[in-house]
Amino acid sequence: MIMKQLMLNMTCAAILVTSVAARGAKPDELGVSPQKMGSAGVVWYATWESALAEAKRSQRPIFFMAAAAQCSGISGVF
Amino acid sequence: MVRELLEGRFVNTAFCIFAPDGKKRLSRSGRSPQMGFGIKSGGSAGEVEKANARVIEAMAEIAKKYPAKDTKAAAGVVDFHSFEQALNVSSGDQRLLVFSVAPDIQQVAVKKTMQEVANHSEVIGRYHFDFSSATDAKWSEVVEGDSQKSGIFIIESGEFGQTGKSVGELPLGSSPEQIRNALTKANKNYAANQTRKNYAEHVKKGRRTGVKYEDAMPWGEDRDADGKIDQSRGKRR
Repeated sequence: MIMKQLMLNMTCAAILVTSVAARGAKPDELGVSPQKMGSAGVVWYATWESALAEAKRSQRPIFFMAAAAQCSGISGVF
Repeated sequence: MVRELLEGRFVNTAFCIFAPDGKKRLSRSGRSPQMGFGIKSGGSAGEVEKANARVIEAMAEIAKKYPAKDTKAAAGVVDFHSFEQALNVSSGDQRLLVFSVAPDIQQVAVKKTMQEVANHSEVIGRYHFDFSSATDAKWSEVVEGDSQKSGIFIIESGEFGQTGKSVGELPLGSSPEQIRNALTKANKNYAANQTRKNYAEHVKKGRRTGVKYEDAMPWGEDRDADGKIDQSRGKRR
């Protein structure tokens, strides 16, 4: 709850990069999201330009996280 | 940008908090929020929880200094670089994708409607939104169940985010209330019929079945910051 409120106070930018699990998180370590299906999560801005525009508009700091929605070329992961 | 934050390296995660101008750094940069705030993480679940609490505390301190100026109702709507990427992320997050396909002349009006929809308390954070662009011309080839060339499509992304199924379709002139009602209905159905992915199992299955995802970004990491993507395990710096 605290985290959700906090994220509302920040502009969240998730910039998507290509993933490889060479030395990062190992696929075997990835589990299940604790978030309930269909419930509200973080509103990520998927481009830097859109996040920056929103941050300037609302004067909120930017929580920048570059990440990938694929792991070793396997899509549909976060 | 990732290289700037990671001393020249390009790896699959990077973190930093920026001021609203997008220039001033309000935290250190690193591969995770914990690293960005110089907090040691790992070990037992309790230790991870403590580290996360410290991250939250540090972020709250920053947020206090930057009180939001405007109402959230006017926040811009999320858009992706491509439909392909939106579909993939929707699959990863297991959220429905609201994809608007409109001719140029109607784009502004559709975005305005979607802004009202996306910022509604019943909608915010529950869906991903994307707007068609010239590069998305072939979106319909990977989506089944769509009947029109333009409109607002509610799409359930496939297991590996490379295909999808249209589970709802509305005309471009639909009111925010009509769209919201359709989304709520579709999301209720989606949540009732889906279970959360176990990502480890998902990756194993993807390997077994030969799933391969490629996009415009080069595949791999430059872990030694020599400016070249390492296809094999590189040296740590």
